[in-house]
Amino acid sequence: MRLLVFAVLSVALMVVDARFALLQPLRAQLGLIAEPVYWVGRLPVRLWEGATQGLSSRSELAAENEKLKAEQLMMQRRLQKLAALTEQNVRLRELLNSAALVDDEVLATELIGIDPNPFTQRILIDKGGKDGVVLGQPVLDARGLMGQVVEVMPYSSRVLLLTDTTHSIPIQVNRNGLRAIASGTGNPERLELRHVADTADIKEGDLLVSSGLGQRFPAGYPVATVTEVIHDSGQPFAIVRAMPTASLNRSRYMLLVFTDPRTPEQRASDSAEAQEALDREILQQAGTPAVAPTPAPAPTPQPEAAH
Amino acid sequence: MAVRANNIWVVWLTLGLALLLSVSSMPRFMEVGRPLWLALFLTFWVLALPHRVGMTTAWGLGILADVLNGSLLGQNALMLTLITFLVLTLHQRLRMFPMWQQSSVLLVVFGLAQLVQLWLNALSGSRPPTLMFVLPALVSALLWPWICVILRGLQQRLGVN
Repeated sequence: MRLLVFAVLSVALMVVDARFALLQPLRAQLGLIAEPVYWVGRLPVRLWEGATQGLSSRSELAAENEKLKAEQLMMQRRLQKLAALTEQNVRLRELLNSAALVDDEVLATELIGIDPNPFTQRILIDKGGKDGVVLGQPVLDARGLMGQVVEVMPYSSRVLLLTDTTHSIPIQVNRNGLRAIASGTGNPERLELRHVADTADIKEGDLLVSSGLGQRFPAGYPVATVTEVIHDSGQPFAIVRAMPTASLNRSRYMLLVFTDPRTPEQRASDSAEAQEALDREILQQAGTPAVAPTPAPAPTPQPEAAH
Repeated sequence: MAVRANNIWVVWLTLGLALLLSVSSMPRFMEVGRPLWLALFLTFWVLALPHRVGMTTAWGLGILADVLNGSLLGQNALMLTLITFLVLTLHQRLRMFPMWQQSSVLLVVFGLAQLVQLWLNALSGSRPPTLMFVLPALVSALLWPWICVILRGLQQRLGVN
């Protein structure tokens, strides 16, 4: 009898939880207890890492320091180049009258737990609703996109990784802009591209970047590199496998991206207005009567031109 | 109940420990065989103190596990209630069995619970591709004698009732 009561109760709860958002706040509050439990659960790992760090010898540390310095130098060099490239990019975009490339704001976060269910690819991070995390927010590590937030609790949140079987992300081949959708396979080192035509120009080693078409992930972040392309004449589409650039099962520190909430159209019209205001200012400063009679400067940016 | 509760906190402590173990980090390749710690500990206390630990405890614990795992609320609760029900109905007989026989009965019980879990998972979209889902039940059944001995020692030492 009691089994029946509890079973009905459980099933009712599951249905409500799956179909309606009614239990969301309750879950969020109950999630408060999850964090300390995960913290204690990861304690052995932390202790082990602490011990290996504490016991690593001075020479090892020196070597690592040396390596990091070399790496930093390399990065600096690239950064110098990047500054020039960014400048150039902005100028070219101005020429094209398209929306300015805005730098996304990020928030650093740390991994605090891994989902115990081996058939899902989810992790727990230490930032939550109190830090401004929102549902669907993209998460990335130093090398590329990792996934998106699927559950927000007050001080922690759950992230669904790119490789989960229920996850797909719209991508573009960086080399030629070919669009496709990369779906997770449940294997943390493999993504599969769905419905890629047999004749599509895609080959091993191609870098796949997010295309931003799903309006969920920001455009232009690296997602994966193609590892194999199989053309099977018995299959309607080519089989394309890729490996995520982010180290999905190794990264400890991640970044939460706060993308601009404006739509591309709004962004375009905003930047167009700014450009117009600037033009007007320049005209006023020049103040020559020869230019004044012209009703409007010729290259007035049109918001629609962004497309 | 005529018998006064004695040292009942031990039950809660061990169940808390089981909850902790069920989310503690493990090497990736071992995760498919993660023992059903909650089910194991709960089964022991249900067998030892059926008048204290019952389906209400199991259900509450299951809800906590659901929150921790981020699964649908009620999924683990249903599973643990089912296990407790089966163990409660079998408990007169189960207590008489030798250890290996207890283990084999529990293998069936846990396997059944895992099957229910699999169905529920399939309903909510994620389905494991292989027969791997019975592995936890097997590992748990193999662990049962050890858990039983340890917890019984604890129970007798502290006179938990």
